[in-house]
Amino acid sequence: MKAEKRRAPAGIPPLARYLAIRLGVTALLMLGVTLVTFILTNLVPADPVQAALGEQAAANPEIVKQFRENAGLDKPLPVQYFTYLGHLFQGDLGTSTQTRTSVATELGKAFPATIELAVGAILISAIIGIGLGLWAALRQRTFVDQIIRVVSLIGLSVPAFWMALLVYFIFFFQLKLFPGSGRLDPAAIAPPHVTGLYTVDSLLAGQWATFGDAVYHLVLPASVLALYTIGLLTRFSRSAILEVLDADYVRGARAKGLTGRTVVLKYVLRGALVPIITVLGIAFGSLLSGTVLVEKVYSWHGLGEYAFSSATKLDLPAIMGVGLVVGIVYIGLNFIVDIAYGFIDPRVRAA
Amino acid sequence: MLSPLRRIVGIVGIAVVATLGITACSAGSSDSSSSGGKSVVVDSSFDLKTADPNREYETTGSIVAKALYETLLTFKGDDVTKPIDGLASYEMNADNTVMTLTMADGHVFSDGSPVTVDDAVFSLQRVQGIKGNPSFLLEGITVAKTSDTTLTLTSATPNPALPYILPNPALGVVNKKVVEENGGTATDADGAEAYLNGASAGSGPYMLESFDVASQVVFTKNPKYTGDAPAYDRVVLRNVQGPTQKLNIQAGESQVALDLNPDQVAEVGSSDVTVLSSPSRYMIFLLLNQDPSVSAITSNPDFLKAVKAGIDYNKIVDLAGDGSVQPGGFIPSLFVGAIDASDGNQHDAAAAKAALASSGYKGEDVTLNFPNDITVQGLSLQSVAESVQAQLKEVGINIVLAPAPVATELDAYRGGKETVGLWYWGPDFPDPSNYLAFTPGELVGLRAGWAAGADSTVTDLANAAKAAVSTDERQSAYAALQKAQNASGPFVPLLQPAQNVVTSKSITAVSLNPVWTIDLAGIK
Repeated sequence: MKAEKRRAPAGIPPLARYLAIRLGVTALLMLGVTLVTFILTNLVPADPVQAALGEQAAANPEIVKQFRENAGLDKPLPVQYFTYLGHLFQGDLGTSTQTRTSVATELGKAFPATIELAVGAILISAIIGIGLGLWAALRQRTFVDQIIRVVSLIGLSVPAFWMALLVYFIFFFQLKLFPGSGRLDPAAIAPPHVTGLYTVDSLLAGQWATFGDAVYHLVLPASVLALYTIGLLTRFSRSAILEVLDADYVRGARAKGLTGRTVVLKYVLRGALVPIITVLGIAFGSLLSGTVLVEKVYSWHGLGEYAFSSATKLDLPAIMGVGLVVGIVYIGLNFIVDIAYGFIDPRVRAA
Repeated sequence: MLSPLRRIVGIVGIAVVATLGITACSAGSSDSSSSGGKSVVVDSSFDLKTADPNREYETTGSIVAKALYETLLTFKGDDVTKPIDGLASYEMNADNTVMTLTMADGHVFSDGSPVTVDDAVFSLQRVQGIKGNPSFLLEGITVAKTSDTTLTLTSATPNPALPYILPNPALGVVNKKVVEENGGTATDADGAEAYLNGASAGSGPYMLESFDVASQVVFTKNPKYTGDAPAYDRVVLRNVQGPTQKLNIQAGESQVALDLNPDQVAEVGSSDVTVLSSPSRYMIFLLLNQDPSVSAITSNPDFLKAVKAGIDYNKIVDLAGDGSVQPGGFIPSLFVGAIDASDGNQHDAAAAKAALASSGYKGEDVTLNFPNDITVQGLSLQSVAESVQAQLKEVGINIVLAPAPVATELDAYRGGKETVGLWYWGPDFPDPSNYLAFTPGELVGLRAGWAAGADSTVTDLANAAKAAVSTDERQSAYAALQKAQNASGPFVPLLQPAQNVVTSKSITAVSLNPVWTIDLAGIK
């Protein structure tokens, strides 16, 4: 009876109720993100007007006054915050104090660039990291296992900026195997904007050479970013797989005489996927918000570089916009990971 | 049957081979998405904000505006001592208060319409009305059309610097009709910036193909340009950081690199590239606050003398690499009024120790503030600050370094709150009058606590320099002003860092200039 009381009201499917609750929580979290970002940026002991105006303009009271009025900086902080929220509810993320361009427009350029980079990196990481983790687990306590563990540790401990320059130096400068900086060759023209992902947009436009060029430019920075997550995933996959290797259902499968391939793919990997997917979600989030150094070296003008540039120039609307996007990404990823559990693990689905 | 592991390895292998196959096919290909014509790639570290010429006032913005727009007057090559005709010729009246500009025949915008006096008047009034970063260039000036071919710029007080101000790319002439059709006005209600970030409306050697404030600006040749046609049909100006610029230029990925620091320039020296090093327009200086309420130590004249004599200027120049020089005063060596380094402050450890003893200084810590997240021509101010600290330690002065991000340090600097500051000055226009800001009661003077009337000798010399008319008179007046400042003023000019431009061997000429850094149309 008690269990029946906890059920959703008649007419509202459990999944819809779950989604509604998650969306409500997400909205509250977003509100929190805007508040914290606003407070933090205003705690910085500096004046955004000084950062935006040149030497002579900053010394002209009339220009300074006009700038403050245009940017809404002449109003008390609570008024500034609620004005921002009011605009936000109408889909307006404000205007950059540096470029006087809509923050939404600027994020619309920077975010897809980083998404493309992070997706490339996570794909490389997932294929190699889980593969190496599986190999190491199946060869536990052998020489191969030791080598993989050491190599994965290197991936985790090498600074990204140094590795980015080293990889650029070797594969672009010395070996000339891959192209240099940017997302496309300087002679190429970007494909018509649909998603902002050059790989996708070039395919949609049927520009195969541009697609190849975009992939070609993606390989090095995505690989550098992937090195860290490969290390993480290798170590995590290895331990997750080791845990299920001795599970009763795996031993049962072997006892039934199933082939090694079937046991590994249908029992071992599937059993270990839940924790691995959790790590993949976290790794993808960190990739999206942690690409700044690699973006700088490869002139990949994405979200990381936009965030860095906005922070150093005290571009408050841009900083707020980045905070919101990163917050939404993390919450969205957690949500996707939660849903993915249901597909992988029947016990989660039943619950 | 393959084992699971071999199968996975096989799939990965096929994916890698397929990817490399596609990318190899695409490498160097020129399908419909690639543009034709002769093109050049220029790598630069951007500080770009806009492609609207009348709003830009940044280094990259000037490069962009110079390529897209023409100005009423201009400079030839890197000679900024003599303004020459651009879209107009000029005459100044005897007391330098009225400049009459006569429009030249034959100039046309990229849409084919002629450049008229109305376009010129609108553009200059737009700079004033927008109230943006470059508005101060025309502060106190009345712009008026006086005939179908002439306009006048009238100043309330003599303004001999005006011919040196007009070549600034921020004063580029825009197509009035096109800009007005797209929301442009000569007031702060102007709304044409978004349009001008997508298309140019000028008469310069290039037109805007694409503009991305963060990544790159692409230019295509303007077929209607009436000057010498540029050598390249297409220019790609890319935002690339210094270390990557170095590898790109060495590998032939780019043909011009603008922001290599002294160490990087030294490293590429033996490569198959050409290095052009010359003193830049920037002047790096120390300021010692003269306001006793900020610091009783730095406002002591003997302490000031000790600092000036305690610094080994040659060591700082060595630190900054080839092409760097010590300016004799606060005016860089490129401009009228500059004095030789031999007339500047000199290192004399014994004199520094004697002055320090007279000052009553007892070894207290003295804070040196500076921004540590910016570089000047690739030179880190942190390295200059450390060098100053080490040198002053040798004569007995204890400097404590206080680095901070520029955004947070600017308030203290501009508010005159720093005890000792390490900063740089980039000229707003190549005329010595711009450096009157370093005199008592003026913009930078106040930042050093040097109030109006604090030094009547320097103020009198500044007034004399302001009143001087001929080039010779101005040269000697500004020289006398700087020598007086070196003797008693709170500023210690340290260094003019080098402007390093590295080009591939395929480039036979580049046209550099202290106002717009590089003329993209001058790359050959």
